[in-house]
Amino acid sequence: MSKDYVQQAGMNKDVRVDGKRVAGKLRFNPPGSGGSRPEMAERDLEFIPELEGGNEPQPAGAHSHDSFRTGTTVGKRTPLVDANAKVTGQAWYGDDIRLPNEIIGRIVRSPYHYAKVKSIDTTKAEELPGVIAVSTGVDAPSKFGVLPVTKDEHAMAVEKVRHVGDLVACVAAIDEETARQAAALIEVEYEVLDAIHDPKKGLLDVDDPIHWRGPYHIGSTNVQKRVFQEFGDRESLEDTTKAFHNGKWKFMGVNHGFTEPHAVVAHWDSNGRLQLYTPQQVPHYAHRALATVLEVPMHQINVIRTFVGGGFGGKSDPFPHEMCAAILARKAGRPVRITFDREEVFWVNRGRHPSHIEVKINANDDAKISGFEIDALIDGGGFASFGHVTSYYNGVLATAPYELGSFHYTGARVWTNKPASGAMRGHGAVNTRCAIEVGLDDIAEKLQVDPIDLRLANLLPPHSKTITGFRITSNGMRQALERVREGSNWDEKFRKLPIGKGIGIGCGFFISGSGLPIHWDPHNFPHATVHLQIDMDGGVTVHTGAADIGQGSSTAVAQVVAEVLALPLEMVHVRSHESDTSPVDLGSYSSRVTFMNANAAIGAALEIREKLLNAAGDILDLPSDKLVLNDRRIYFKKDPTIGVSYLDALHKSQEDIGALIASGAYRTPPMGGVHKGAAAGLAPAYSFSAYVAEVEVDVDTGLIKCTDVWAAHDCGKALNPLAVEGQIIGSCHMGLGQVLSEQMVYGRTGHLQNPNFLEYKIPSVHEMPNVTPIIIESCDPEGPFGAKEAGEGPLLPILPAVVNAVYDAIGVRVNDLPLTPDKVWAAISKKMNREKIDDARDLPAPRLDFSELQKKLIKRSAEHKLRDSRRQRREDEGPYLNGVLFGLDPTLPPEEQDETWKISVKPDSSQLDNLGLAGTAWTKKEQRHMEGEK
Amino acid sequence: MVGEEHVPMIPSAPSKAWSAEVNGQFREVLAPSNAILLDVLRDKAGCLGVKRGCDMGTCGCCTVMIDGVPRLSCLTMAHEVSGREITTVEGLANGSHLAPIQQCFADHGGSQCGFCTPGFLVASQALLNNNPCPTEKEIACAIEGNLCRCTGYQQIVQSIQAAAAIHRGEADAVVSNNAAHSDPHPSGPEM
Repeated sequence: MSKDYVQQAGMNKDVRVDGKRVAGKLRFNPPGSGGSRPEMAERDLEFIPELEGGNEPQPAGAHSHDSFRTGTTVGKRTPLVDANAKVTGQAWYGDDIRLPNEIIGRIVRSPYHYAKVKSIDTTKAEELPGVIAVSTGVDAPSKFGVLPVTKDEHAMAVEKVRHVGDLVACVAAIDEETARQAAALIEVEYEVLDAIHDPKKGLLDVDDPIHWRGPYHIGSTNVQKRVFQEFGDRESLEDTTKAFHNGKWKFMGVNHGFTEPHAVVAHWDSNGRLQLYTPQQVPHYAHRALATVLEVPMHQINVIRTFVGGGFGGKSDPFPHEMCAAILARKAGRPVRITFDREEVFWVNRGRHPSHIEVKINANDDAKISGFEIDALIDGGGFASFGHVTSYYNGVLATAPYELGSFHYTGARVWTNKPASGAMRGHGAVNTRCAIEVGLDDIAEKLQVDPIDLRLANLLPPHSKTITGFRITSNGMRQALERVREGSNWDEKFRKLPIGKGIGIGCGFFISGSGLPIHWDPHNFPHATVHLQIDMDGGVTVHTGAADIGQGSSTAVAQVVAEVLALPLEMVHVRSHESDTSPVDLGSYSSRVTFMNANAAIGAALEIREKLLNAAGDILDLPSDKLVLNDRRIYFKKDPTIGVSYLDALHKSQEDIGALIASGAYRTPPMGGVHKGAAAGLAPAYSFSAYVAEVEVDVDTGLIKCTDVWAAHDCGKALNPLAVEGQIIGSCHMGLGQVLSEQMVYGRTGHLQNPNFLEYKIPSVHEMPNVTPIIIESCDPEGPFGAKEAGEGPLLPILPAVVNAVYDAIGVRVNDLPLTPDKVWAAISKKMNREKIDDARDLPAPRLDFSELQKKLIKRSAEHKLRDSRRQRREDEGPYLNGVLFGLDPTLPPEEQDETWKISVKPDSSQLDNLGLAGTAWTKKEQRHMEGEK
Repeated sequence: MVGEEHVPMIPSAPSKAWSAEVNGQFREVLAPSNAILLDVLRDKAGCLGVKRGCDMGTCGCCTVMIDGVPRLSCLTMAHEVSGREITTVEGLANGSHLAPIQQCFADHGGSQCGFCTPGFLVASQALLNNNPCPTEKEIACAIEGNLCRCTGYQQIVQSIQAAAAIHRGEADAVVSNNAAHSDPHPSGPEM
């Protein structure tokens, strides 16, 4: 550098004054150990299990992953790894993808509920200056759908439109304005058909069913799926029944209400490969569907999952607009971006099914639940979506946490001319759960016992099997109930509060990952695969296809890798956006990601761990099983001064091979029975939850205000308590919306009246109660470090808890959600008329004097508590099949010990006359069995 | 695509110059005279951190500060606020470091999917600028126009309270309890 060279240093006003050390500022002693802290952190004994010599209590017993805990991050409150991108506005969601030369796509939608498309004339649109591409259904005739058994969607209408808002055509133009004009210029000739909006009418034969399934079509009805399941002996119930509940429910449809509207960008790159940017929960299924519809091999498509602005199940179908964008981009030779209006989000829907549910519960002299009968008619809207599964979930996910004497479920999902229903947080389980938990409250009232004690005395223990054969492993239901009872001061409040104030209980049970992937095939593919790569710099790159939709799955997977390798979280980088670089993961649905993906990641990390330990052992000349991993260092157990840095060990293990690569995969263990539908509801683990809600009801107006919620959820092990609490509170919010204010309102002519957030009422901050999240850790034997799901299960109990609390407040049950003031007030005034009371404030508040049975229940639950704790800790490993409570031998299947025990999945002819509403779907024959009958 | 004259369904407005101080930088762009501020910020000023959730003022995702007052940019005509000071989420950071409100949202779980976060951050920063000791009720009133579907608001309120404590000087600026997050804008090696 010459002498007269002058270089001015840049402004440096941004030096931190808070002393926080910043990555990149530190000089490490070569060879260095990576990370932003120069010193090795001490081993954090608070987060090492007590059975491994640490201080973390393990009331639920040991776990096979305990010895891999390093006290690094698991169990600590950890901000999301992508939180900084989100708080600085740098997170890129669907509409934030701006590619050079992009054009804007718009979709032409049907104005009719149900119509034949006779002709489409695109001439005028094509002639409009600025229009680059126009496409209609003939361009992509292949069908797709998220479930391989029910592919019934097209990119755009072929022959028929099935609901208002169904896709008919699409255009792409230089800007949004031109695209909108062009969309309006497309002339479509329709022949309007008779539309069906009432799901009850969907059970009847019609001239022109919404879909036609050939030989498998059920009569000529609009029934898409019907389910019949009967377990146990229902006939003998009448003699033993002491209390009986019959609840008929109506649930309105609910939309996910995620804040980010759907958006997609499609671009065929210079090599002719499709690059598709989309906020998808389940990119892999979109990938498959795109290949089918576009007729290109999967390897010529790269699905890039953008940040997802909320999913909740609503972004888990492969969507027609994704196909449209790809088709338009292929025609135009330019990137196409399509962003939805909020109204379009409601037309796409896939929200919770509007349902008619009837629940019958019999309890016998000992307050055991001897009969359990559910009939669920669910309104699927125009397409199948996840409906096949939803039809099962409405029944089978009610078979726990209680021990049942018998179980009977009839369900039917019908097509109607509405936007399709699909999967939404708590898929299929929410509405039935509400109905049965309220039913149990009523049973407790009739038996004059405390509803919490009734539940505590009827729980299935850990490591047991439900009546339909689900394998329950860890089970924290009992602790959850006990904790909310204590937290809410239940015993002082229940049936003791003044009129207008009430308290209620509800429980929940949900799958932690579905046992069978949607796309299974003869190859035994794993459900989740994770690749790890560590190069010389020491940073760990995690390649996973798991879709972070805000729930923090990237954080969870980074955490488990950091935990096993004892590295600071900042050294673990998750790459999960592109299908080109990510191994296949089935996606973020059915609460499977933490369980399956983290298990796969642990598998991969263990492989790396072994290599590092061996390398360190070679350097130190010590056997690797005598070494301990801690923060960026590996050392001798007995003398921590003998050790090597992480980078030393890493570089040793990279000799001759370069970057360390490892792959881990997860598959569920073989499970389940053999009856038809046995696979629905199977999961490698189940979560349990119990909520107590306190409400205030304005008896003069019927307005309900939920003030407090004590929310206990058994998530096995909270890998990140901050995120688990966020899930619990968030679930409360969403469930509270469904029970108090949210509904998709269809008018008399079937038109959706509130496709916007002004009239679709999502609770604001003012409606939120004070939620006390309570985490129960039951340590699941197969979960990653014991973890189970926490994303969906916590939603279930809030609905019944609020409904039960409303009864406690005003003595009236309303079986029609949401509990809007008009319905509540109508029920109050009906009661006032009946009891001849003029002032609503004079209504009597419900009171309860316990019967003799109460003591019996307390005694029984105390015995069961002992049993459960022994089983949880595996001190008692004997089999436990549902039915022991009713005197059956736990080691034998019930059908082998009880002659009257039935397992049937189809009604016999004698039952056909006596079926519930949805059950009447079974009175029709499939076309292939009709032999020419009309 | 030839022949007929362009007959607009939506009246096209003539473009005119729009200028404003966006996040401390003077910006001047051409925008139709009927342009919505949200569109100008996203499409012309490059502020993609301002999110479009509903286009009708119901979700609050597009909240920006105009002269320090939180406004819904989807309901604001761009030319009405020409020449004013506009702060989006991109302008909250103190130089190259996270503002306390941003740090607290990250650390206390105030952001899950993150789509509503920019709106919440701007609304709550506007509150804290005027009121460093907000009560829970005042916080709730400040964010009542913002919808969040993930968090149930509780951790958002906690994040704002934590940030308020930093503004009052009662808490350290950096409350992160682990080193997961290095600074998003490292300012280079220390000399």
